[in-house]
Amino acid sequence: MSKKVITLCYRKIIDFTNTSPWDKFVHEDSFAEFKMQAQFYNQEKQCTTFAEMLLNVPDAEKLHFLVSASITGYLRQLNGIIPDVLDNLGRRFLTFENFKFEIINSDINEPEKHKVAINFFSKPLVWHDTIDNLLLVSQFKATKEEEVLTNLFQVQPFVSIHAIKNIN
Amino acid sequence: MIGAISTPVIIEACKKSSITDGSNTSGSGTAGTTASTNGTCTVAPTETEGPFPTKVPASYVRSDITDGRTGYKLTVKITIGNLNNSCAGLAGAIVDIWHCDADGNYSEYGGSGMQSTNYQSVHFLRGRQTTDANGLVTFTSIFPGWYSGRATHIHVHVYNAAGTSLMVTQIAFPEGAGTSLALVNGYSKGMTGYTYNNADNVFSDDKTGVEIATVTGSLAAGFDLTFKVNVKA
Repeated sequence: MSKKVITLCYRKIIDFTNTSPWDKFVHEDSFAEFKMQAQFYNQEKQCTTFAEMLLNVPDAEKLHFLVSASITGYLRQLNGIIPDVLDNLGRRFLTFENFKFEIINSDINEPEKHKVAINFFSKPLVWHDTIDNLLLVSQFKATKEEEVLTNLFQVQPFVSIHAIKNIN
Repeated sequence: MIGAISTPVIIEACKKSSITDGSNTSGSGTAGTTASTNGTCTVAPTETEGPFPTKVPASYVRSDITDGRTGYKLTVKITIGNLNNSCAGLAGAIVDIWHCDADGNYSEYGGSGMQSTNYQSVHFLRGRQTTDANGLVTFTSIFPGWYSGRATHIHVHVYNAAGTSLMVTQIAFPEGAGTSLALVNGYSKGMTGYTYNNADNVFSDDKTGVEIATVTGSLAAGFDLTFKVNVKA
């Protein structure tokens, strides 16, 4: 019998209004790194915002990647557990290895304009069933087992199914 | 309303009445807090809070930038001199270097889209160090490979202690029989189609060789590169 194996994506948005310590470190450090790295893409000093750089400077797209190095240490501090996304028992249940960092916008003069996103990609899950707006999933394992431990979680904002494949 | 991770988590005791709660569609990003038993209940996060996060430097800040890439060992010693001080060593300057691996690839996402990478090894062959009292930084890396259109090179970006950019430049490698470049011979690629310094669009106008580093060593023991960069600080 075929089963559906999915990867979830949680897109965590961080801006200057975030109050938790982890979020604030990510905001501050990514802003400091942005100010350093952006200088290479703003040598004429014509731009003040990231949006302007993307429009006017070839390769400014690389800033997403270049700035991400400022926050990988914080990702390590999560110990492989995706933050914020809770199952129906109120616990975090998703694990990750892969991520993608985005600068949504920024301004070299105004930290309040600095807004970033971290996309967390879950390790593969088997999607067993859907009850109302809750998905029943379990960790994907290669071995066949009679009974598997599952999680029930609500379809919620900023969480999506990123990829799907059918396995026999 | 996006970016509202910071809006207070609305935690209500399970109510018997069935109020339709629109909070789970507000785009708040506070996730998974509504269960559906009696109308709407919110599930409060109920885990032991972990230790507070600690401030951590950018993953660039390391002396060994190899990150598991295979290649001949290369020690890179760069000295930053201050043109405003007779080229004496500049302490406290931030020096970033980056270069490609043995196959000619840089650590960076290939193009746009939702391509994801593993957070453990995403910034290979990129590093950042701060100059000591003598203006020196040292990195452990691998001898770079090459890619079409460019001679073998290492990128360098020098900032002052406050993060203001002072100079962006590139380091070229000496050429000729017996040099490290000749010994490494482009790894598995060989040197067919290689662009030498005099044809390289960055190095071809360097008549005095100021952009060429000094490189000593051997395949067995590894190589040592030294280079001086003068900036106006």
